[in-house]
Amino acid sequence: MVPLSWYLVLAFMLIGLGGYGMMVKRNLIRILIGAEIMGNGVNIAIIAMSLYSPVFTFTGQGLIILVISVAAAHTALAMVLMLVYNRRYDTVDLGHPVVKEES
Amino acid sequence: MQYTDWFLSIFEPVEFLLVAAIVLVLAYLALEHKEIVYAAFFFGFMASFVAAIFLLLEAPFVAGMQIAVYTGGITALIIFAVLLLPRAQDSSLELFATPRKRQLGFLIAALVMILSGLLAFIFPWAESFDDAVVTISNNLNDLAMWLWSYNGVYVQLIALIMVTSMVGAVALLKMDKAEQLSEIRGEFGIEAKPDFEEAEPSSNEEVADEDSEEGDD
Repeated sequence: MVPLSWYLVLAFMLIGLGGYGMMVKRNLIRILIGAEIMGNGVNIAIIAMSLYSPVFTFTGQGLIILVISVAAAHTALAMVLMLVYNRRYDTVDLGHPVVKEES
Repeated sequence: MQYTDWFLSIFEPVEFLLVAAIVLVLAYLALEHKEIVYAAFFFGFMASFVAAIFLLLEAPFVAGMQIAVYTGGITALIIFAVLLLPRAQDSSLELFATPRKRQLGFLIAALVMILSGLLAFIFPWAESFDDAVVTISNNLNDLAMWLWSYNGVYVQLIALIMVTSMVGAVALLKMDKAEQLSEIRGEFGIEAKPDFEEAEPSSNEEVADEDSEEGDD
């Protein structure tokens, strides 16, 4: 059986990669992808803990089912926020927002 | 017989290492590929391989949900966002603002990965969990009972949060239309701003007369 620490290392590497994307990238869609990668890492960590711990028999799986449902909702919300940002600043560049001149 | 046992003993670790390497490579490509459409597809593939990790963790229902929601729904949403925002495909956005910012981000992410990885290896997980009591069941009836009978209130609350976020999203999209209403102005009430102000004058005499009358006013 694969040790728990292997799963946790994978989860932490995904969290680190997603954090790197969120810190460094300028494109809003890349930042959203980074956030989703971080979420996947957290999901792996929780499921692994639930498998290896007797305390969380179904807690891990049930929690992840709820988390995945909410992830879909927050991605839709993030997409709407990106659309609003694009309308207001005329770009999806988080680094250099320029206020659109009113005609 | 010995070879079979040996093969079975290394099969799961090798499978895990293979899938984990693919997940990490696809996650890196999703962040670093120049074309953002391909990046979205790489994210979808990565979500599928994360579902394979869930299968290794004996959570097949979660794996199915991961494929349905992440690979199907969220990847489609990201591709929709790319199509709705043509500026997102601008390759100049992939250039870093400053090299120092990239190095700093890389350093912080590497630090988080190394420290948390060390914690994962050093922490005595085996002692903290009582292995004798581990009973994982893949019975969906038990999972449904746990989710809907014992923790139904939390499911309702999560549903409420999702509805609130959806209503908030619709309200945000409609906010611009509400701002456009400020252009409706008038001294004695609501008077719509005419749309034909900037229209080219036509050769029709009546229209010309109307324009001259407005000018006189």
